[in-house]
Amino acid sequence: MADGSRSGTTLARSNRRWFWTFVTPFLAGLVVFVYVPLLWSLYLSFFDARNTVTPTSFVGLGNYTYLLQDRLFVDSMVTFIAFALFIVPLTFACSLALALLLQRITVLRAFFRSAFFLPTAVSYVIASMVWRMSFFHGARFGLTNTVLSSLGLDTINWLGGENSWYWLVLVSLRLWLQVGFYMILFIAGLNQIDPQLYEAAALDGASAWRRFRHVTFPLLRPTSVAVAMLLLFNAFQAFDEFYNTLNTVGGYPPYARPPLVYLYLISFGSGAQDLGIGSAGTMILTLVILVFAFFQNRLLSIGADK
Amino acid sequence: MALTRRTLLTLGGGLAATTALAACGSNTGRTAAPSASPAGTPAATPSGTPDPDAGRPALSQWYHKYGEDGVEAAVKKWAAEYPGAEVNVNWVLADYEKTLAAALLTPTAPDVFEYANGPTLDMIKAGQVADLTDTIGSSRGDFTPSVLDRLTYQDKVWAVPQTVDMQLLYYRKDLLEAKNLTAPTTLEQLTHVATTLAEGGDIGGFFAGNDGGIGVLGLLLMWAAGADEMNEARTEAAFNTGDFHAGIAQFKQLFDSPGMVKSASADWSDASPFINGEAALQWGGMWDLPKVIAAHGENFGVLPFPAIGGSGRQVVPFGAFSACVSAKSANVTAAKNFVKWLWIDAEDKQVEFSDAFGTHIPAKPKLFGQAKQVAEGPGADAAKFVTDHGRSNALFWTPASGEAYSTALSNVVKNGADAATEFGAAAEKVTAELARVA
Amino acid sequence: MRPSRWGTALAYAAASLLAVFFLLPFYVIFRNAFSTQQHLIAPRWNWLPNQLDTTTLQAVLGNANYGVLNALGVSVVVAVAQTVLTVVIAMMAGYALSRWRTPASRVILGMTVFTLMVPAMVTFVPTFVMVSSLGWISTYRGLIIPVIFSAFATFLFRQQFLEFPRELEESAAIDGANTWTTFWRIVVPNAMGTVAAVGTITFIGAWNAFLWPMLIAQDPQMRTIQVVLSQFMTSQGIRYPEMFTGALIAVAPALVVFLFLQRWLVQGVARSGLK
Repeated sequence: MADGSRSGTTLARSNRRWFWTFVTPFLAGLVVFVYVPLLWSLYLSFFDARNTVTPTSFVGLGNYTYLLQDRLFVDSMVTFIAFALFIVPLTFACSLALALLLQRITVLRAFFRSAFFLPTAVSYVIASMVWRMSFFHGARFGLTNTVLSSLGLDTINWLGGENSWYWLVLVSLRLWLQVGFYMILFIAGLNQIDPQLYEAAALDGASAWRRFRHVTFPLLRPTSVAVAMLLLFNAFQAFDEFYNTLNTVGGYPPYARPPLVYLYLISFGSGAQDLGIGSAGTMILTLVILVFAFFQNRLLSIGADK
Repeated sequence: MALTRRTLLTLGGGLAATTALAACGSNTGRTAAPSASPAGTPAATPSGTPDPDAGRPALSQWYHKYGEDGVEAAVKKWAAEYPGAEVNVNWVLADYEKTLAAALLTPTAPDVFEYANGPTLDMIKAGQVADLTDTIGSSRGDFTPSVLDRLTYQDKVWAVPQTVDMQLLYYRKDLLEAKNLTAPTTLEQLTHVATTLAEGGDIGGFFAGNDGGIGVLGLLLMWAAGADEMNEARTEAAFNTGDFHAGIAQFKQLFDSPGMVKSASADWSDASPFINGEAALQWGGMWDLPKVIAAHGENFGVLPFPAIGGSGRQVVPFGAFSACVSAKSANVTAAKNFVKWLWIDAEDKQVEFSDAFGTHIPAKPKLFGQAKQVAEGPGADAAKFVTDHGRSNALFWTPASGEAYSTALSNVVKNGADAATEFGAAAEKVTAELARVA
Repeated sequence: MRPSRWGTALAYAAASLLAVFFLLPFYVIFRNAFSTQQHLIAPRWNWLPNQLDTTTLQAVLGNANYGVLNALGVSVVVAVAQTVLTVVIAMMAGYALSRWRTPASRVILGMTVFTLMVPAMVTFVPTFVMVSSLGWISTYRGLIIPVIFSAFATFLFRQQFLEFPRELEESAAIDGANTWTTFWRIVVPNAMGTVAAVGTITFIGAWNAFLWPMLIAQDPQMRTIQVVLSQFMTSQGIRYPEMFTGALIAVAPALVVFLFLQRWLVQGVARSGLK
């Protein structure tokens, strides 16, 4: 073993020195730019910190209780828990489906793979622009509304909020942006499955669905777990696409407000930045993410062979 | 271990590490470098970084991006002309309030910055802005009283108005006449007019923003229905009345009618939908008046927002972006002097600011005559609306109150929630806010 | 086992249809950039652009007030520097965490994984204030340094190195090379797939970043292309052709980089093995 085959404390010490040489830049940066601000933010969450980052008035859990009773915050958390429960399996299924689809294709496979993967390179700002201004514009010249009126139907004010159609806009936007990436992860996972296993199953007379259920899916477990984790973290941290799609000159509407957008508006809001509440909110959000991650891990570990 | 837990994970340790890094950074954001738009600054701007021993303090001034062309060039020219300091203008493109909010928390806050309707109550109380009463001095009487009132707290003035903006209802006189309709003075009339004009599908009815008007019309609906934000003593919300609920119900009728245009190629702050025929009536800003005149000539008129219900009244909102001085500035006196030079003394520049880029009303009534666009024509009509029907946001109406109110409004109008419940919750929030900032 | 012909035909049909939907937004950007405003808001949706010349492009690029060219330059510098630094730092840290199983190593790994779960927003305001106190506002330092410590990249590299056979390192050690040289001469060249993968992800993330550059780059000269692009969305008088020309300009470099490097990305991900 590279780190222990030659015995002696000199070696152990010099080896440890190498460890620190390699890890220090990263660790230093992590501490200075993640952990110190994180702790500072935690500190702020226990204070009444308006328009200042060096507050003086301690309020204990006051900010937390305020938020948990705040209709808008609770609404946004509940909405987003529902959103996460919906979007995670949906994205998972779509990415996996695309990966499986690509497996069946031999001609021009690279082209199709690129087509599905390409949106990953597009910024959320630009994608929101296209969805909001061209595809789903509420006026008659948007693509979807043109299609609707040519079919003789009424146009829909997609992002107006008097209906729930904005979810379709946001979900389709997210899927477009993200599915390619997770598809790649699944492709990698699929490629590691020994084809002979399929043949063996086929010889036993198993149909395509049964092959999938009993051979493919179980062997995809490590990839599935990773994908599910990433999707979960991502779902709760939604910001860019919501902000750029729904934000108007009149401000951000009270519906479809991800917790992060709400906290952002509180922390940097129009002339009244409440950083104590903003910090408390992000702590709560982090806790919720952790709880979900824990349970999701449990769920996906059931039946896993260590 | 070279790095102990103590140095790694304590707040002090982390910050100590950063002081070492600070030795590498010299840019605190207050660059005295010349402005970034070479094409637009005719006056000589200093090249390179000026000699710090030259004796002139360096000031940074922030503006938000104005939609009209030429504003940026003008303000930068004036900043360069100022003899008393080296003024660097920062023209913020997006999310002005958020970017400014973030900057004000840091040592690199701008020295002079504009803010819509002056600083918020929280900003004043947190000591983020400097008291400008002495700077204004005897000129206090020159400014339109209602405008200056908004910038006054505890008898001190906290900002200097730059120019006054207002919103109004643009309507197509020719289209109304063609269908024998009269200009609407009540909301019911507006609904009728909008629906009639929208029949046939050639043109839309009434447009007030891509959010259906919730954002821009919010407080107007309250005022037009005859309600007030709060009582005289400022101890509780005063808008949660039956008349008000009835008024909102009327607005919802307009919102749900085919006469309402809910989405257009631009938002309310841009008169393009009115200009290119997407809507026959639009609630827009006075700043677009020149463009509307250019497009429709004599075929349009302007109106205040119509009255709602029996105890209602017509109303126009006005507000003034006002110049504030950061209390944490290293050069507070220099900053105050600059503000005085530009926004109090230099009346020619004030007139130019109001008149040369879109239409705005000068903050001093004595300058009305010099601003051609408000001296006569639709501009004069509009200016008169401000005098007769003008209202401005209350200083004690905090952003949190506004947020609660507009959420309630959105839920009621867009989603049909019960007005009493929603506005009741909003009223509670407003009362709590008033108690907090009393 | 041969897949059914019918199933394969269906697969091709589905893939083709999906490809059209996936590529449509790119076409729309192109169409919008090369049309006039009136064409775009006409009551009927027009599939074809109507101004296939460089008028809007010249207007957008030539307008010094928009600052598009300048912003492109800033974005390039920031994205490249951020990518290189992130990869180097994460690579070294990932290696350390994969080869050493000391208590310290476990703690740091825990910290790294924990960071993945923390929303970036939690640290936003304090990080901003800290960076400002350091005097890094509107500097490349401020734009780049706070964001080059990627827990995700470190994690990916660690996973990759765990799979890396130690025989090569051992034989190098026997030949007298120390850990540092072994790392750079032997391990890294064999990990180029992951390097390309992480590099591509980082580059694209850096190129597309919006919020942090917006807050840091207060000086107009230091704005990145995404920030400049956002001006079109929230300013008065948005002209769609200009907006989408800006989008086209902003998306092109990312697409090019992506198309060239996606092969590595796919391979790198495959090799990193998400176990």
